[in-house]
Amino acid sequence: MTTTIEVTGLTRRFGNVTALDNVSFTVEENGIYGLLGRNGAGKTTLMQLLTAQDFATDGDIRIFGQSPVENASVLQNVSFIKESQKYPDDFQVKHVLKSAPWFFKNWDADFAAELVEDFRLPVDRRIKKLSRGQLSSVGVIVGLASRAPLTFFDEPYLGLDAVARQLFYDRLIEDYAEHPRTVILSTHLIDEVSNLLEHVIVLDAGRIIIDQPAEELRGSATNLVGQRSAVEEFVKSREVLHRQSIGGIASVTVASLAADERREAQAAGIELTPISLQQLIVRKTNTTDKEFEQSA
Amino acid sequence: MTTTTIRPMNVAKGGEFQRIWSVVRLHVVNRMALFGVPLMILGFIFAVNFVIWWTLKSSLSTSDFADASEGMQYSGASTFIFVYMMVVAVQAINLTFPFAQGYSVTRRDFYLGSVLTFVMLSAAWALLISVLGEIEQATGGWYVGGSMFNAIYFGDGGFLQRLYITFLLFSFFFFVGAATAAVYVKWRTNGMLVFFGALVLVLLAAVLWITFGAHWMAVGAWFVEMGVVGVVTWTLVPTIISGIVGFFILRRATPRN
Repeated sequence: MTTTIEVTGLTRRFGNVTALDNVSFTVEENGIYGLLGRNGAGKTTLMQLLTAQDFATDGDIRIFGQSPVENASVLQNVSFIKESQKYPDDFQVKHVLKSAPWFFKNWDADFAAELVEDFRLPVDRRIKKLSRGQLSSVGVIVGLASRAPLTFFDEPYLGLDAVARQLFYDRLIEDYAEHPRTVILSTHLIDEVSNLLEHVIVLDAGRIIIDQPAEELRGSATNLVGQRSAVEEFVKSREVLHRQSIGGIASVTVASLAADERREAQAAGIELTPISLQQLIVRKTNTTDKEFEQSA
Repeated sequence: MTTTTIRPMNVAKGGEFQRIWSVVRLHVVNRMALFGVPLMILGFIFAVNFVIWWTLKSSLSTSDFADASEGMQYSGASTFIFVYMMVVAVQAINLTFPFAQGYSVTRRDFYLGSVLTFVMLSAAWALLISVLGEIEQATGGWYVGGSMFNAIYFGDGGFLQRLYITFLLFSFFFFVGAATAAVYVKWRTNGMLVFFGALVLVLLAAVLWITFGAHWMAVGAWFVEMGVVGVVTWTLVPTIISGIVGFFILRRATPRN
């Protein structure tokens, strides 16, 4: 396995605000990574540091084994159109499509043209006249068609309708299958992308709180629903991630159960229900679902 | 279906100039904004001026028209292009820079590409204005005794001198605009306040020193002695300082949202 990103002790402070606090992780070559977290968790700051758009206060970043700062040999293999990307004044969509191949060696113009059709993007329209969704699709098209060995998508679905979002997921997975590369997707629509993600990194208040393969993470917790007394009795000696009750019914999330424990729970009349990635992350970040969705 | 893993490439040999050239192409990709609009404005101003010259020539006596022609040498009709190009430089740093960062361009490549763009644009506009100046002279002021490209500020020493003067003037506006924009990109509003505050203080100090030291005569004499060519050559000092300072500011600048 080749390591694409290696981050050690990365810290970024803005004045007295610590946006990233001693973050360390690695990203292996070829995989779709989810970078998840609430607004202000440090996702964009982290991506800006990885792409050398910002400078670290402390710590070390290696991309393809080298520091990305002012390093053309690293950066020409990286694509990062951020959610709040600025465009030159009076730029039209066609100017983006025309200039992108000068900077991305793997640029596929036919693929880009196809995506423009798919997203129904008006190429002669000025960027500043585009709707939020159309603006997002410009970023998505550049991200996909650039086929950079390391591609970032920063909240790529913002303002996109359900059809366009599905289109993005489909195109990403299709193209990824044909041209494997390292993709980092920052998003808050966790359940929508959860089938796409192979690995999940969750940031909270500038720290990494989860860094796990998605499969392992999904299996790491179970939801127990049943009579409150029975459920409470069962979880007495276990670590509880989340607890909710309505009347006499309780729903409690605990760490994953072994086979005999599952039988024991079922014998006690407790129903075991799967927990979605989003619920799990929400529970681990100690927020409510609503709070999480609103924050992003 | 063929599966090919996309692997990182190393920097190609001779790739540096190609990367810088890509930045130049990025700057000029929007031809309409860079050439179309200023040329249309120039054409419009020329048309309006032409009608006025023609009216003067048709209605004034010969001696009155000679007076008018004298005044036309102070025409500021083409000065807007310099200001327009300064705005182009400001936008290049303020907007194209963050955009180029999205294309993973290093700050160094971006800056060198921008410098090359500014120099080439200065040359192109200088050439256009000088050629139009030649035509203006050859046709006796577009056949109606008008004067727009032979303004006194562009010198009176013929084609090459005019080319030299306009080239340096364009360079001045490009590089000073770019450096000022770099201050903004790096330090935002606070940077602008400090920058213009300091500039005002420096100019004020200079005025006070000249006034209380009774140097105004010397200053006037200097300008006369230098002539247009000499004074314009001196703009190389702020132009080059801006070019160098701009580089070091942008090297540490981060595009903000």
